[in-house]
Amino acid sequence: MEKIIQKSAFPQWLKSLQAFKIFLPKRANYGWELNLNHEVQEIPEDYTYPVVPPKKLIFPQEEIFFEFEQNPEDGIKLKEILPEAEQQVIFGVRPCDGLAVKAMDLVFGGTYEDPYYWRRRRQTILVGLACSQPPSENCFCLSVEGSPSSEEGLDILLTDLGDRYFVKALTEQGKSLLSAASSLFNEPDPRDREAREKIHLEAEKKIKRHLSSARELPEKIKAIFDSDFWDEESLNCLRCGICTYLCPTCHCFDINDETKSLAPLKGRRVRTWDTCQFPDFTMHSSGHNPRPDRASRLRQRLSHKFLYFILLFDRFQCVGCGRCVTLCPVGIDIIEVLTRASNHGA
Amino acid sequence: MVSLEQLKEEVKKILSSGNIKYFIGYENFSSGWQVRPAFIRKPEDVDRLVWTPACFHNLVRFLHDEKRRRAREKNPDTRPVGLIVKGCDSRAINVLIQEKYIERKDVYLIGVSCELMGVIDELKLKRHLPGLKPRKILFSPKETIKVITDDDKEIEIEASEILADRCLECPANFPVVADIILGEKIKKKVTSPYQSISPYEKMSVEERWSFWQEQFSRCLRCYACRSVCPMCYCDECVADSIVYAVTADTTAEEKAQKIKWVERNPEPSENTFYHLVRAIHLAGRCVDCGECERVCPVEIPLRLLNKKLEKEARELFGYEVGFDASQPPLIACFRDNDPQDFIR
Amino acid sequence: MAEEFEPRIVAFLCKWCSSAGADLAGVSRMEYPPNIIPIQVMCSGSVSPLYIFSALSHGADGVLVSGCHPGDCHYIKGNYYARRRLALVKKLLEYIGLEPQRFQMSWVSATEGLKFTQIIKDLVRELQPLGPQNKLRRKF
Repeated sequence: MEKIIQKSAFPQWLKSLQAFKIFLPKRANYGWELNLNHEVQEIPEDYTYPVVPPKKLIFPQEEIFFEFEQNPEDGIKLKEILPEAEQQVIFGVRPCDGLAVKAMDLVFGGTYEDPYYWRRRRQTILVGLACSQPPSENCFCLSVEGSPSSEEGLDILLTDLGDRYFVKALTEQGKSLLSAASSLFNEPDPRDREAREKIHLEAEKKIKRHLSSARELPEKIKAIFDSDFWDEESLNCLRCGICTYLCPTCHCFDINDETKSLAPLKGRRVRTWDTCQFPDFTMHSSGHNPRPDRASRLRQRLSHKFLYFILLFDRFQCVGCGRCVTLCPVGIDIIEVLTRASNHGA
Repeated sequence: MVSLEQLKEEVKKILSSGNIKYFIGYENFSSGWQVRPAFIRKPEDVDRLVWTPACFHNLVRFLHDEKRRRAREKNPDTRPVGLIVKGCDSRAINVLIQEKYIERKDVYLIGVSCELMGVIDELKLKRHLPGLKPRKILFSPKETIKVITDDDKEIEIEASEILADRCLECPANFPVVADIILGEKIKKKVTSPYQSISPYEKMSVEERWSFWQEQFSRCLRCYACRSVCPMCYCDECVADSIVYAVTADTTAEEKAQKIKWVERNPEPSENTFYHLVRAIHLAGRCVDCGECERVCPVEIPLRLLNKKLEKEARELFGYEVGFDASQPPLIACFRDNDPQDFIR
Repeated sequence: MAEEFEPRIVAFLCKWCSSAGADLAGVSRMEYPPNIIPIQVMCSGSVSPLYIFSALSHGADGVLVSGCHPGDCHYIKGNYYARRRLALVKKLLEYIGLEPQRFQMSWVSATEGLKFTQIIKDLVRELQPLGPQNKLRRKF
């Protein structure tokens, strides 16, 4: 379903969605964030993308699984804690972040669905915003089979046409958001469609960074698995975890039991984010660690994104958002590293 | 001004002599003004080196990796590691020597004086040039920083507007320990050394609580602040370790009995606890290199915590961090007349 | 009559002086409020900042660390280290925005049973208007 909404009517659309938790891009001192506090009822002109990706709202940093409590009569009781039943709408999701959610859906779905992830996922409506220019200096979505106007993973895709948005509802959930305020939406005319096409095409040309022949990377990475190439590339690495925590597709987690008291036994089980970049991520209880050094961990991260995910799902796990490149404190640039990996031993 | 040519010459000389294992300096990214640490092994690679206002990284942190590497090797190469140190970085070296983490002979230091300048703050730069993309950032002989934009415009910005906050309060703008020092050792006059924390000291208790809770609510517990800190070299961090010093012989009972002071979840109480522990463990050790704040992906103003304790160390105990490698650590010494007016 | 808030105070008492002083108060039948949870440590110098943060994290409304007078430490120097270290902890907690009355230090010798009771009475009186400590308390 394709519609047009005037930007001046945008606040009214938001008002019609009062039943939902609405996340809008908000300016923070460190960049953009998706926030429930809306001082302005619009998506600002200079919005790029949130530093912390939408994954935080679907796969939160802290997920409580269950609480356990022991009492003298009944013994130990478990109380499952499922996520709150509340619908949420996230505005301003860039196409790369939409693709990232799709990638996470693949991981947490399949034969065995993660109930916590899916409860939130099914309650989430993603309203995407096509990129009119790359949100980051380091965007390279085109190289990993994405695009500034990709629709995958999103429920609605908005395109900014200046004083109005072109609204393309992609799923039933997306359509339901429009029906809540149908009087605000008009039919697009051929000029609108033309303007939208133009913006999408122009945006692709503005992307500055490219990773050539990404589909050849899996074989290349496999070939240099044992090479000391990774030692040199990881010299700068601080194993700080920023690349993985801010990556929209990274989803590794840790599960901990938080014991409030031992007698009577009372506590809860909590899932939090974890990262393959922490030295003890692969520490076995025997004391052996198959990835004891930064070289093997860097190799792991790049292999997960550009080799293993391809073998499992035939798509890149990296969506080319460029956050890891921009935020790495010591300048490890995966586009450069992968380019060098490609040419290594050639 | 520090001569880049002289820097390259010195590095080439020391590398060619074979007296150091490798040299850690700064190099440009493949494009743009940004700079990152560079590991130079061969004399012919010295041309990669740069010295610009964007060289804010503290390279002393990489000595942790060197020490761990040596611990793993059977016959380690014990030649010193060469690195560039600014004033703040050199004080970090002194703290590490003071704590016997490294010996003076383990490092070959090429000091660079910031003279009357310092290094820039990336966020301040962005705010100063909205919409403009810098291509090159250079020191200029006057107290300004020259920025050349993508479309070849040349802009001069007053240093005080884009220098990092810590540079505006710097107590050591030239290295206090080094094998050679490039640039002039001009002492920078700092009129208000703790101006960055004074607004917070003046706040009421509740205002301060609100402020810090707002900051800590963003904390992702990525531990980047800890990973980048030259002083956080503990193999196992008491707060929340991402490295456990275990071997094949560590029994299950030993592992089960480890005390968990902080839970891993990012609830406000746990975030606050982690930052409190880190701050108190850095009392008398933090040299205000600003890295913790710089690397934080959500810009928590961490140096405000450490700076406060630095001020207390100086005012209550007359302790200055990192100038004298032979002084005892702050909390491993005391004076008979240490203040006790807070004690009943 | 409305129920008064009773603060729960964790008191780290050094074995040789303060804990003995507290015992003397008890043995002499001196009355003092029952709000403290006394934890005997060998020396005030052995009190790590982690203990204080942990007590607050577990919900203590106040924390007291009490040791020997300077010069009288059983281990000669322990209380001097405590004086320095805990001064920093106090400054840090205040800077974070915790009410300064919630963390206190005292010197109580083995004969100062009366002083000990006075300190506890003062502490409880100071903490009552502040209410429960919810700032650093772990919510679960």
